[in-house]
Amino acid sequence: MGGARAVKLHVHLSSDWVLDTEMREYRPNEEVDFCIIGSGAGGGVLAQRLARFGFSVVVLEAGPWHDTETDMVSDEAGSARLYWNDERFTGGTDPLEFGANNSGRGVGGSTIHYAGFCPRLHPSDFRVRSLDGVGADWPMSYEDLEPYYAAMEREYPVSGPRQYPWGKPHGYPYAPLQAGTAGQMLIEGCAKLGIPVVAGGPVAIPAGRKGKRPHCIMRGFCLLGCKVGAKSSTMVSHIPRAIADGAEMRAECMATEILIDSNDRVTGVRYVHDSRLEVQRANAVIVAGYAIESPRLLLNSKSNAFPDGLANTSGLVGKFLMAQAGPVVWGRFPNMIRQYKAPPACALTEEFYETDPRNDFVRGYALQTVAPLPIAMAHLLIEENGEYGESLLERMQDYNHYAAIGVLGEILPDARNFVSLHPTEKDRFGMPLAYSHFNLFENDRRMMHAGIARARAVLEAAGATETHSVNRYAHLVGTCRMGFSERDSVVDQWCRTWDVANLFVCDGSVLPTQGSANPAITISALAARTADWLHHNARHALTRDERRPVPAHR
Amino acid sequence: MTIRDRYPDANVLAQRGHWDEATRHVVLDRVHNVPDFRFFDSHERATLEALCALVIPQDHRQTDRRVPLAPWIDARCTGGHSDGFRLDTMPSNPDAWRLGLQGLDQTSQHLFASDFVSLEPDRQRRVLESVRQGNPYGSAWQEMPAKRWWIFVALRQITAVYYAHPFAWDEIGFGGPAYPRGYFALNHGYPEPWEARER
Repeated sequence: MGGARAVKLHVHLSSDWVLDTEMREYRPNEEVDFCIIGSGAGGGVLAQRLARFGFSVVVLEAGPWHDTETDMVSDEAGSARLYWNDERFTGGTDPLEFGANNSGRGVGGSTIHYAGFCPRLHPSDFRVRSLDGVGADWPMSYEDLEPYYAAMEREYPVSGPRQYPWGKPHGYPYAPLQAGTAGQMLIEGCAKLGIPVVAGGPVAIPAGRKGKRPHCIMRGFCLLGCKVGAKSSTMVSHIPRAIADGAEMRAECMATEILIDSNDRVTGVRYVHDSRLEVQRANAVIVAGYAIESPRLLLNSKSNAFPDGLANTSGLVGKFLMAQAGPVVWGRFPNMIRQYKAPPACALTEEFYETDPRNDFVRGYALQTVAPLPIAMAHLLIEENGEYGESLLERMQDYNHYAAIGVLGEILPDARNFVSLHPTEKDRFGMPLAYSHFNLFENDRRMMHAGIARARAVLEAAGATETHSVNRYAHLVGTCRMGFSERDSVVDQWCRTWDVANLFVCDGSVLPTQGSANPAITISALAARTADWLHHNARHALTRDERRPVPAHR
Repeated sequence: MTIRDRYPDANVLAQRGHWDEATRHVVLDRVHNVPDFRFFDSHERATLEALCALVIPQDHRQTDRRVPLAPWIDARCTGGHSDGFRLDTMPSNPDAWRLGLQGLDQTSQHLFASDFVSLEPDRQRRVLESVRQGNPYGSAWQEMPAKRWWIFVALRQITAVYYAHPFAWDEIGFGGPAYPRGYFALNHGYPEPWEARER
């Protein structure tokens, strides 16, 4: 790279690791092979793979680097900068919450503050329409994704049992992680009821050292960024290697529009950095901004050829927004729990994941450990019945007696759940705000009801003297769905948009269904699969001039 | 009814020498640098303080162990702080606060012919109860759903301020920041040697 520009990086990635290196820097008018928008579970893995294959790569990340020593804190209220806190409108019968709940901002994206649960989807998840007559089938099978799951479990890496008892048999590369007392309550309750349960994973915290990442110190602040560097995020698992292989991670750059030429080929990305408008030229663009920002960016990229938003001739960009049902069920135990100790993600059961003809609903749910810190716990207590005053203080004094279970349930895709652009409200970049519309339907409600009842039974079997629950939602997927044709979806199985040959969407928004598995590892596996396809097909995919046929009615 | 001190030996702040520098800075800044009021006028401020005193009663605490709440709500409004989303039936967060405080006065006037701040605590609680039930009197509550305001604006934000404070952590026996030291006693809810026991 004679004459190439470089910029100095100095950022702590773990207690024992300073990324102190030169990073390749491209000029915006230099055409790179790939411009990737977002650096989370999808974008981070794509950057590493594509750089290793020898492509020139620029990643535009809206947020900053989060230095583990100086920017991350062991403090619940002090961690707001990890989240995507720009306002989004939310409506429907069951409005979703964003921000701390599910949206990251910064190098590593939401993987910075996820709990780290990394279960795979089950083989049935790829055939929900065929098996149950609802939702959608994927244009690929479990077996297509299987080797990429295994690769990601090594690369994150993931701790868990040697023999995982659900889905297609597989095991995890690191031994199960130690569980705290709160996790023991899920294990004990399931054991007493004869429900299979696994402890110590699958979670993206290696039970052991991984390179310059020390092992976990059990401080329980996973949702607020891992200062230790033990918990995997793409910031520690893939992005350092991407940079070593020549990718540029351009932080604090907010993409506002994807540009196309008169041949309907993407030419680059308009973005804002330091209040300045720039355009990064690229031979191909991969949108990896997660299920709200990805459709928002496409919908905001209007042109004569795509008056309703880029790659949206199907009208499906933004449609089929899904979150997983995530009711939190907690019990009070006579004995001490101290739920704040140890990683919140430490035990789960997927025994109720699949369709069971005895139920009054299809598909199912998982039960997973969760461990609300004090503010989160107070928010559960007040939301249950609007409690305040001395009775709230007294119930919060029981903090150390609570253990909680998160029901993680499969909400089915529905076109009435969607993300659109707000008609009038704009953000500080002049871009219309995202407007999400979310409604539960009958199958979703029945599933949640059953999941909550099961979680209560488990806590009671473990010795809880009272149980409570509050509805929550977790994760965001589905708004640029993958499918079989340009009529039923936005992208094909390689995450390439049907409409534009050199435009890809590769993040949670491509999932046609979501199962009851936390999506990060699935998103990364899809990204690795797309990267492999690009490795072998880029010449064809990126230089093709003809546009794909557009349905006549558009 | 009074609050019994279940962790009389708790003193999370005394552990600050074991915290990393970034965390220590954030927590001590919160304890020592309480912001001035800039957003609310004096009547709104008095109403907000009366509300905070009912949501998180602190009369039982020594005066130097009380957690300031209203100034942080003011600071959130001043800074235009967003939690990343706005319900489409709600105004922006600062506007929701102003409107809600007006609503408390409107409901108070209707029930007791007085502003909220001038009512006896028992009557103030009756006003809050009608907000909590979701159908209070007042034009403010026609502009936004009262239940939503009660839980997601008033209670969430006031409790978020309170349970961010080390004095509140002492009250519930939370161990506080634990980096770089970590935890070792993971089973049976055991405390670390430096953590308070429940009495």
